[in-house]
Amino acid sequence: MAQAQVPVTVLTGYLGAGKTTLLNRILSEQHGKKYAVIVNEFGELGVDNDLVVNADEEVFEMNNGCICCTVRGDLIRIIEGLMKRKDKFDGILVETTGLADPGPVAQTFFTDDDVKARTRLDAIVTVVDARHFLGQLEQGSEAEEQVAFADVILLNKTDLASEDELKKVEDKITSINRYARIHRTQKSKIELDAILDKGAFDLKRILEFEPDFLHHGHDHDHGEEVASLSFSSDRPVDPDKFQKWMGALLQLRGQDILRSKGILAIDGAPKRYVYQGVHMMMDADWGTPWKAGEKRSSKLVFIGRNLDGENLKRGFEECLK
Amino acid sequence: MKVDLKDPAWRQTLPPSRSAASDAPVAACAFNRDGSTVAFALGDGRVRLLPADIKAAEAPAAEPAHKGVVLSLVGDPAGDGFVSGGDDGRLLRIGLDGAATEIANQKGRWIEHMVAHRASGALAASAGKMALVVKGDTVREFGPHQSTVADLDFAKDGGRIACAHYGGVTVWSLGEATVAPRSFKWSGSHVALKWSTDGKFLATGTQENDIHVWRLAQATDMRMQGYPAKVKSLSWSADARWLYTSSQPLFTAWSFAGKGPEGKPPLQFGDEGAGLMTVVAAHPAAEFVVGGYDSGELQLGDIKSKRSVVLKMSDNSAITCLAWSADGFKIAAGNEKGDLLVIDLRR
Repeated sequence: MAQAQVPVTVLTGYLGAGKTTLLNRILSEQHGKKYAVIVNEFGELGVDNDLVVNADEEVFEMNNGCICCTVRGDLIRIIEGLMKRKDKFDGILVETTGLADPGPVAQTFFTDDDVKARTRLDAIVTVVDARHFLGQLEQGSEAEEQVAFADVILLNKTDLASEDELKKVEDKITSINRYARIHRTQKSKIELDAILDKGAFDLKRILEFEPDFLHHGHDHDHGEEVASLSFSSDRPVDPDKFQKWMGALLQLRGQDILRSKGILAIDGAPKRYVYQGVHMMMDADWGTPWKAGEKRSSKLVFIGRNLDGENLKRGFEECLK
Repeated sequence: MKVDLKDPAWRQTLPPSRSAASDAPVAACAFNRDGSTVAFALGDGRVRLLPADIKAAEAPAAEPAHKGVVLSLVGDPAGDGFVSGGDDGRLLRIGLDGAATEIANQKGRWIEHMVAHRASGALAASAGKMALVVKGDTVREFGPHQSTVADLDFAKDGGRIACAHYGGVTVWSLGEATVAPRSFKWSGSHVALKWSTDGKFLATGTQENDIHVWRLAQATDMRMQGYPAKVKSLSWSADARWLYTSSQPLFTAWSFAGKGPEGKPPLQFGDEGAGLMTVVAAHPAAEFVVGGYDSGELQLGDIKSKRSVVLKMSDNSAITCLAWSADGFKIAAGNEKGDLLVIDLRR
C-alpha cells in the first residue's frame, strides 16, 4: 500500500534547555493535529498520551567498516511499530537526550530503507539555553554539534539573559551554523508552524542566502571549531561529476563534515535537484520544478570542522558545465 | 495431504478461502492449539478471531484487548485460545470467547515478539531488553540484553531460548539450575531469528541485508549476502534441510543437508514478477512452503518439484504475516491494509 511519508522532527538541545517544555506544549496545545512522540527513557513528560513512546537511545555501528556510520536501531524498530497503527498521525517527534550527538538520529533516516519509505526527516530543531549556551560550549562538543545539525534553533529563556548576552549567543550560533533559522523564545513558546512540517531539512533557508558567484561564506579558518561554508553558481551542474565528487569527499572527510545540503540546477533538467548529507551518508532527489524564466542557480552548504574552503570551492567548480 | 502443483487445477483456480476486512494493519496471525480458530493481531488493539473452517459462520469482532497496537500473537501453548502482546506493555491470554486475562504488564515496554513451545506449554516474549518466559502461572525474566530483544525463539526441546540483539544472539537455559547464558557474537543489529528445527543452527537476518548462521556445536558461523533488503522472515523446513528466507523475488532456500550451504548458491524457484517476498513460512511437516509478497500475492511452493502456484492475487497491500495450521491443511495470512485470509488447501 502506498503511504505518504510521515514528516519527522528531531528535537535536540542541551540538558535543561527547554525540550520537555516544548514537547509538552506541542502535545497539549489544540492544533487539531496528531503527533507521535518518541522520548528518551529518562525524560519526564507531564502529558499522558498514548502516542508517547519511550526509547532507549540504542546506537549501533553499521557493519560496513565505517566508524561514523552509527544509527539508532531503536528508532527503526519504533517507527516500524508505529506504522502498524490503524490511526495515522500527522508527524513524529523524536526527542534526544541532552548529551546526544544528533548524528546517529539523522543518519537513521538515510540508512534504513523501511524508515526511508515511510518517513522523511523534516527538520532538526535545537533548543538553546540563552543563558548557559556559551558555558556549555566549554563542556564538550555536544552543544556545538547540536547547533551545527540544526535547521531551526529556539534561542530559549531569553527572559533570563540581557540583550547583550543574547547578541553574543546569536553571533556564536551564526558562526557555527549560518543557515539555521533562529527564533527567540521564552518558556519554549513558539508557533508550531515555525518548527513542524518545514519540508526537506528546511532547504528553503538555503535559497534565501545569496552569496556572490562562488563566494564561500566564511573568511577565516576556524580549525577545530564548527563553521559553515556555502557556494553558489549560475552555471548548470553536471550530475555525474557532482555525485562522484561528493561521494569521494564524504568518504574522505565525512567525519568532519557534519551536514551538507544543496539545491542544484542540473543541465537540462526541469526540476531542482535536492541533495543532503549527514556525515558520510547522502541522499538526493528531484524537488520542485523551476518556473519559466526563473534564474537557475545552484547552492551548496557545508557545516563542519576543518573545512578547507579553497579545496571545496575548486571541487564544486569542477562539477560545473 | 495430496497437493500436486503439477495438477492443472492448481494453476487455473485459487483454492477455497475465507476473507474478512478489518481496516487495521495486521501484525501477526496464528492458529490455536486444536486448529479450530485463527486469530489476527490488529493495529487497532483488537485480536480478531475467525473459525478456521472456512464455511463456518463468523463470530462478531470483539472489543479491543490492547490500548494501542497488538504486536505479537501465538496460539496458547497451554490452553485453547491465544496469547497476545501489545505496545501497551500487556501480555494477554485471549479465550475463544474473546475474553482477555492479563498475564503480565510491562508498562512502557513493547511486547513485540512472541513464540510458543507447544510440547512444554511455555511461551517466550520480548519486552524491551528482557525476554519473558511464561509457563503455567510463573513469568520468568531473562536479561537485560545489550539492546532491545529484536526476536527470539525456542530450542527444539523447549529447554532454551535464543534472543537476538545488537552484537549477536544470547542463548539462555530455562532449566532450574543456573547456567550462564551462551553468546554468539556478530557485530551489528540482528533483526530476525529462527532456531533450526533440528536444534543445530541459529539463523538471524541483519540490518545489513545479510543472513548470519551459527552452528551451535562448533560455535562456528557463516554469512550469506546478496539480499536487496533486510531479511525479516526466516523459516526452517520441518526436516531442517532448508532455511527459507524472505526478501528475494523467488522462494530462496539455503541447503543445510550434508556439508551445509558454504560456497554454494541458494536454491531458488517459483514464479518471478510478484515483487519482493516479505514473509515466508515452511509447511509444518511436508515439502511445501508459502510465501507472501509486498505486492500482496501469495504463492505456495513445492521444493521437491521446484514449482509454485498462486494462492492469492496481488492487491498492492504487502503480506505482513503467515501461519500454517498444525495439520498442514490451512494457511492464515494478513496484510497491511487489514485483510484477513484463511485458505484451505483441500480443494
